[in-house]
Amino acid sequence: MNKEKLLIKRYKAEKRFQFYGKAAITVALMFLFVFIFQIFSKGYTAFQKTWLYVEVTYDQEMLGVKGKIVSVEEMAALDFYELATSSLLKLDANVSRGNKRDIIKMFAYTFEEEIKDYLLRNPQYLGKNVIVPLTASDDLDQVYKGNYPRDIPEERRRVNNYQLKLFDEMTSRGHVSSSFNLSFFANADSREAELAGIASSLVGSIYSILVCLLFSFPMAVAAGIYLEEFAPHNWFTDFLEVNINNLAAVPSIVFGLLGLGVLLAIFDLPRSTPLVGGITLSLMTLPTIIIACRASLKAVPPSIKEAALAMGASKMQTTFHHTVPLSMPGTLSGTIIGLAQALGETAPLILIGMVAFINTVPGTPVDPASSLPVQIYIWSESAERGFVEKVSACIMVLMVFLVTMNLGAQTLRYKLEKKWS
Amino acid sequence: MVVIDMETSKIVAANVDVYYGGKQALFDVTLDIAAKQITSLIGPSGCGKSTFLRCFNRMNDLIDICTVHGQIMMDGIDINKPDLDVVRLREKVGMVFQKPNPFPKTLYENIAYGPTIHGMATTKHEMDEIVEKSLRRAALWDEVKDRLHEIATGLSGGQQQRLCIARAISIEPEVILMDEPCSALDPIATAKIEELMDELRQNFTIVIVTHSMQQAARVSQRTAFFHLGNLVESGETDQIFRNPSNQKTEDYITGRFG
Repeated sequence: MNKEKLLIKRYKAEKRFQFYGKAAITVALMFLFVFIFQIFSKGYTAFQKTWLYVEVTYDQEMLGVKGKIVSVEEMAALDFYELATSSLLKLDANVSRGNKRDIIKMFAYTFEEEIKDYLLRNPQYLGKNVIVPLTASDDLDQVYKGNYPRDIPEERRRVNNYQLKLFDEMTSRGHVSSSFNLSFFANADSREAELAGIASSLVGSIYSILVCLLFSFPMAVAAGIYLEEFAPHNWFTDFLEVNINNLAAVPSIVFGLLGLGVLLAIFDLPRSTPLVGGITLSLMTLPTIIIACRASLKAVPPSIKEAALAMGASKMQTTFHHTVPLSMPGTLSGTIIGLAQALGETAPLILIGMVAFINTVPGTPVDPASSLPVQIYIWSESAERGFVEKVSACIMVLMVFLVTMNLGAQTLRYKLEKKWS
Repeated sequence: MVVIDMETSKIVAANVDVYYGGKQALFDVTLDIAAKQITSLIGPSGCGKSTFLRCFNRMNDLIDICTVHGQIMMDGIDINKPDLDVVRLREKVGMVFQKPNPFPKTLYENIAYGPTIHGMATTKHEMDEIVEKSLRRAALWDEVKDRLHEIATGLSGGQQQRLCIARAISIEPEVILMDEPCSALDPIATAKIEELMDELRQNFTIVIVTHSMQQAARVSQRTAFFHLGNLVESGETDQIFRNPSNQKTEDYITGRFG
């Protein structure tokens, strides 16, 4: 009878444990769902761009080329300021002196350039009357997307009644539309939210990760293989092992200081560049990969090593023909985990100057660049509503980057494992 | 006491002591291994027979705390000298382990590995021949000739062990050490391996560690009985099993202890 009770108790204990497990997973999933929903609902509008269509007459007289035949190169040298502003002001036939500024402010400050580029792309429009799409200002962009409330008092609104009236007129004429925001991916950072993009930080992140991989992977794998397979076991290697494990737990900002003090101050490497960022991040990734590499070397069955040694293979041959290939899937997983950590790292990059305002897209790893997490940090400090959606959009891009990396690692692992078992 | 006959002995071990750290595992073992015969080492678990076997190809080197003292002469060379090239030694002394341990590669790569690292074949054709010959000698060729490029870990346990034997003989060793080669196999696979050993005896000197008294009696010509790190008795298998001179040997082979 007692035995019966005990059995019931045991089954109950198992059921309870299963319930705890399921509850934990549910809570975790809920958090994840809320997080993704929050990011997505705030950020998806950043992938749309609002265009205002304006009638532009490419008047030869106004451009000072009346009666001449001009090539595209010559067009590029012309002054479009007068033509551009007068085109915008034509939106209101009887515009007062005071409202001129309001009209100009409805557009991104690059309107002159956009009008010029449109002609350079379509030189046949010279002398003709055409409708040109122009980037809307950040505020109107937000109004169009519904992110900016129209019903608050005018004096507290960034868009005044006059601008709203003109905007509504344009909307009713069908002169406002939106399309996929290509410039978010093509532009570098900007002070103006409607023009700001992630090109500099995305390219900067990719370069940093590549530099990081290039520096840390060979070093870490060499160190891991040597320590695990060849090094004698004595107090010195024990000391090294303790230190490597400690290194993995060092706060990342300390590595940033190291990068600042050594890479920039002593070696005089170019500041704010992915080269320095990547090397600094590789210091962080190094212990992670060494630990993963050693753990996966340790996991290779000793019977395989014995088999190779008994065949007369040298230590080196045994290691590189059998042990290392078998440990590769584990080492690669560790590497990807380390790189994913490095990809999301902000603090050390801020210290080595990648937080600077970079409005160019880096061509090489030695050009100044930002990185995705630092870009998120910079934008999150800006007050404009345009930057709020961009922060979320940037997080989405970062997450897609991470998921792609992890998928790549999984695929690689799957392929390698298939080969070896 | 067996008279050591240098003419027919392949390996002569004299006064071998083995220590694991401070613990002595073998006490003053002196034994000769006859050429082209099968010698079985028997005894209860922990008696030191596997340790003794691993002295012949210096596998004990892999254990940091293990030290081997004494003289082990093979073809007039002391293979226990610290400066001996173990790679050369293991080229001459192959080993088959308790658990089949094929490399997680194809059957072909398993056999070709030894000949490749020892530079025994210069062309693909030569290598093909070595692989076929080794598999034939291990009585495995007919079963696997169509799946040479499949992963070896997909074979059955008995096939894997015969593959390991084929791998061991691929580099034409002079001695083959077998550490309980059938302990993980079923009786049919065991019978096949024993049959195979009987054939290999013509070309190789074989030393086998076994827990099975019957196996020792069936396959070996000579038997050595170990107990608690001591070599208790050694000699012709027939004599050991029919008329042991030591009481302990008799107790063990009749199943009174062990």
